[in-house]
Amino acid sequence: MLMSSRPDELDVALTACASGDRAALRLIFDREAGRLVAIAERIVRRRELAEEVVQEAFIRIWTHAHQYAPERGSARGWIYAIVRNRAINMLRDGRREHTVEEVETLRETEQADEIMAAWHRLDRESRLRDCLGALDETKRHGILMAYVGGYSHGEIAGRLRIPLGTAKSWIRRGLSALRECMA
Amino acid sequence: MTFDRNEIAGIADEYVLGLLEPAEAAEIEAEMERDAELKAAIAASRDRFLPLDAGVEPATVDETLWRKIEAALPAQQAAAPLPSANDNLKDGWRLTALSALAATLLLAIGLGWSLMRVVEPVVIAVLINDAGEAQAVVEDFGNETATVRLLHDFDVPADKTIQVWTLPSREMGPMSLGLVDRVRSVRLHGPTLPAPRSEQLYEITLEQQGGSPTGRPTGPILAKGFAKPAH
Repeated sequence: MLMSSRPDELDVALTACASGDRAALRLIFDREAGRLVAIAERIVRRRELAEEVVQEAFIRIWTHAHQYAPERGSARGWIYAIVRNRAINMLRDGRREHTVEEVETLRETEQADEIMAAWHRLDRESRLRDCLGALDETKRHGILMAYVGGYSHGEIAGRLRIPLGTAKSWIRRGLSALRECMA
Repeated sequence: MTFDRNEIAGIADEYVLGLLEPAEAAEIEAEMERDAELKAAIAASRDRFLPLDAGVEPATVDETLWRKIEAALPAQQAAAPLPSANDNLKDGWRLTALSALAATLLLAIGLGWSLMRVVEPVVIAVLINDAGEAQAVVEDFGNETATVRLLHDFDVPADKTIQVWTLPSREMGPMSLGLVDRVRSVRLHGPTLPAPRSEQLYEITLEQQGGSPTGRPTGPILAKGFAKPAH
């Protein structure tokens, strides 16, 4: 199932946002907010924090819309990156640690499932799916944990039970192999 | 942060994945504003990983979140947009609207058929493609019926269909008027909607057979245009 909204529309909407058109921001909200909350929640793991992320991200989309240009990639990628960055900053500020420990343990398994689901849900024709599939499991896992779950090098090393230096270099090599595969 | 030129793609990936330390990430953000190669590498990396996010199951979001956002929006520094009764994206659509107006006039002359009916539509919209060519005409009678006439032979794959949409208001969002299956002209019986207005947006998209699974347009837009009063 094609889940994408129409990219040309987001492009137009960003331009309209830059000139002060709130209806254009609303259009972005209507099209993308559901996915953006879900993406933020995969990282910060609590719904109310995820909504906070998306709220702040929309203010930033509004105030920075004038900076968007096609050489920054797709409008959608630009919008999603703002949400991802907000979510990751919230994590690194230590907000995730405030979660009650039991809840954390429970959600940990849930999140591991979410992370693999993101890969399995990729379109069968998708290059990214094939290229991730071609990596060995630890590298694939490390990359998905970072991108989908917002894990740091240290967290990935801990969860995969490998030394930090090894985690860093495996991920680096995995990313390089992925770029080559998708080039 | 110093890095080798041939490490740019790797740094871009690590930045996009969120693996850099906050201070490094901030430096990369500043650096990309003056380094076109780094900016391009980050753009490519974002779009490479985007499908992992685009495929996520959307959360249910209610109006409260939007209200919080709207309440916190600062005014844009650029000049305020012209006041308009139209909810659609004014700036982006203006060109479309103007070409649609020109096309409407031409068609009104050329297609006298539409003006000689006993029952008159409330509005007519000429849908045009990106190249500005008229592709379809929608007549909305405002009583749950509309007709659509395709002016172009669309190449519709066997597992796809053309779906007709309108945007009665931005609160309602796009509403489906129905499907056009391998015919040039069809009368649609859609949902009960507010009376069609002048300047209301109509569009046709390519959707999977049976229509969009989400109830909202998901496929590529084939043509779009704004309604003009029929009389």
